[in-house]
Amino acid sequence: MSPFPRLTARAEKGMRAALYLSIGLGTALVSMVVLSTLMVSVALIGAAGAGLVVLPVNLALVRRWADQERRRTGGFLGRAIPARYRPLPSGFGERLRATLLDPVTLRELAWLGWHIVMGVLLGLFGMVALVGVPSTLLQTALWWMAPDGEPATLALRSVTDWPTALLYGAVQFVVLAALLLWGVAPLARLHATVAAALLGRSRAAQLAERVETLSHTRAGALDAHAAELRRIERDLHDGTQARLVALAMRLGLARSRMGEDPEQAARLLAEAQSGAEEAMTELRQVIRTIYPPVLSDRGLVGAVEALAARSVVPATVSVDDLGAVPASVEATAYHLVAEALTNVAKHAEASRAEISLSRIGGWLRIAVTDDGRGGVAEDGGTGVGGMRRRVAALDGEFTVVSPVGGPTRVEALLPCGS
Amino acid sequence: MRVVIVEDSAVLAEGLNLLLSTSGFEVVATVDEAAPFLKIVEEGGTDAAVVDVRLPPTFRDEGVQAALAARRLVPGLPVLVFSQYVEQVYARELLSDGRGGVGYLLKDRVSRVGDFIDALKRVAAGGTAIDPDVIGQLLVRRDSPLTRLTAREREVLEHMAQGLSNAEIAEKLVVTERAVHKHIGNIFAKLDLDPGDSGHRRVRAVLTYLDA
Repeated sequence: MSPFPRLTARAEKGMRAALYLSIGLGTALVSMVVLSTLMVSVALIGAAGAGLVVLPVNLALVRRWADQERRRTGGFLGRAIPARYRPLPSGFGERLRATLLDPVTLRELAWLGWHIVMGVLLGLFGMVALVGVPSTLLQTALWWMAPDGEPATLALRSVTDWPTALLYGAVQFVVLAALLLWGVAPLARLHATVAAALLGRSRAAQLAERVETLSHTRAGALDAHAAELRRIERDLHDGTQARLVALAMRLGLARSRMGEDPEQAARLLAEAQSGAEEAMTELRQVIRTIYPPVLSDRGLVGAVEALAARSVVPATVSVDDLGAVPASVEATAYHLVAEALTNVAKHAEASRAEISLSRIGGWLRIAVTDDGRGGVAEDGGTGVGGMRRRVAALDGEFTVVSPVGGPTRVEALLPCGS
Repeated sequence: MRVVIVEDSAVLAEGLNLLLSTSGFEVVATVDEAAPFLKIVEEGGTDAAVVDVRLPPTFRDEGVQAALAARRLVPGLPVLVFSQYVEQVYARELLSDGRGGVGYLLKDRVSRVGDFIDALKRVAAGGTAIDPDVIGQLLVRRDSPLTRLTAREREVLEHMAQGLSNAEIAEKLVVTERAVHKHIGNIFAKLDLDPGDSGHRRVRAVLTYLDA
C-alpha cells in the first residue's frame, strides 16, 4: 500500500486523463485529415459531380471514425455512447440525401470541428502533464549536459549552475505535478463530456426512444389487461354464474316437489348445497387471481411472508423499508414471488430459498434466490416468460440468472413513481 | 351457551343468528365492529365468539386482531374465526398463546351446519378447529419436524389439528381408541412436547404442525 493512498489515486486519475487527452491529440490530427478529405469531396461536386461518388464514401469514413471515438470516449467515461442512425433507403441519391440530412451526421460534423480545435489544444496539455514530471526530474539532474550557448531551461529560466537548477527545477516540478494531479482530470472530463454529447444521441432522440419503449410496453399492458378481464368474465360467466343458475333451479324444483315427493326434494336440496359449495370454491379461486385477499389484508410484506410460510421449500424473507407501493405493483410483485417459489418447489431441487424486497429510489426490487440446480430455461414451461410479461406490462426490468449447477436468481425491478 | 357474533355482512349475520339460535345457542349480541365486540367481552357473560376476519373500517384482518385482543382481555375465551379464504399465518397467530379454544374455518363450512356446530362446540370446550384447507397447505413442507412422524401419526395429528377427540379420531381411522392414544403419545414424544404440561399439549402439537 502506498503511504498516500489519496494522492496515488489522484495521480492515477491524472495519468488516465492525461493519456486520454494525449491520444486525443493524435485523433484530432486524424480528424483534420478526415475533415479535409470531406471538404475536398464537397469541392469536387463542382468539378463535374465527381464528388458525388466520393462523398458517400467520405461520409461513411466519418461515421467509422466517429464510432472509433465513441468507443474511446465511452471507455474513458465508463459508459456506452450509443448512436442511432436512421435506416438508409435504397437508391444512390436517396441514400446520400438521407445521410446528409441525418441529424447524427450533422452532429458528427460538429464534433469533428470541436475535436480538431479543442483536441489539439487540450491534447498538448495532456502531453505536458504526462511527460512533464519525469522530464523535469531528468532536466534538473542533467542540466550540465546541455551544450554551451544553449543552456537547459527550467521554469522558463536558463540554468547554468546547481542552485538555480534545483530551485527552478523544483518550481517546474511543482507546477507540472499540480497540472497532472488537479489540472488535467477536469479538462479531460469536459472534453469527453462535450464529445459524448455531440456523438451520442440528442436529448430529443433519447426521449423519442423512451416514448417508443413506453408506447410498446403500454400496448402490452393494455393487451394483458384486456385478456385478464376476458378471462375473469369467462370464469365468472361459464363457471360461477352457471352453477348458481343450476342451484336456483334445484331449489325451485325441490320446493315444488316438497309435498308429493319429499325424498326427491331432500336429494335436490343436498345437491343444491354441494353446488353452492362448489360455486363458493370457484369464486374464491377467481378472486385470488384478480387480487390476492391476503395482499389487501396484510400488504405486500405480510402477503409475501405468508407465501414464504407455506412454501414447500423453506424460504426466508428480508425486507427493507419499502415506502408507498402502488397496488398494481404489489400485485405483480406478489404473483412474481408466488410463481418463483412454485418454480423453486417444482424444478430447482433446492433446499432453501431467499426472498428479498427492497426499495431503490423509485424502484421496488424483488429477488428470489434458491440454492438449487439452476439451468432455468425460459421456454421450459417454467412460467418465466409469464413473469417477464407481467414485469414488462409495468415497464419494469426482469432478469433471471441461472447457471447450470445453480444458484438461480430471479430479479425484477418495478417502477413505483417517485 | 352464550355466543357473540361479529359479522359486518347483514345477510351472513342474520344467517348465523338463525343457525346458532336454532341449534341451541343463545346469541347474546350481533355486532359488526371490533370495538363493541371487545366491550361486550369485557362485560363478561360470553361463552364464545364467532368472528369474521374482515371487518370495518379497513376490511383487512381486523377480525383476527379483534379475536387476539378479546383473548387478551379474557384469557382462553373461545373464539371461532371464519373467513372467505384461509391463510396459515392467521391460524398460527390465533393459536400462538397455546391455550386452545380457537377455531379458524373457511366460511364455506358454515353451510355444513352440523360440522360447523360441532366445530363451535369443540372450540367452546377448549379444543381447536382448524380448517382442513389450512392443514392441507402444511402437508407439503419438506423440512418440518413432521417428517419424523409416520404416515399414521400424521393422519392422527391432522385430525387432532382439526379438533377431533380421540374417540372421534378412532372412529374416522377405524382403529381402537387405545391405538389413537398410543399414536398421540408418539407424536408428543417426536415433537419434543413435555408430558408434564398435559393440558395444552394437543394445542402445542397443532402449533408445531402449523409452524412447520
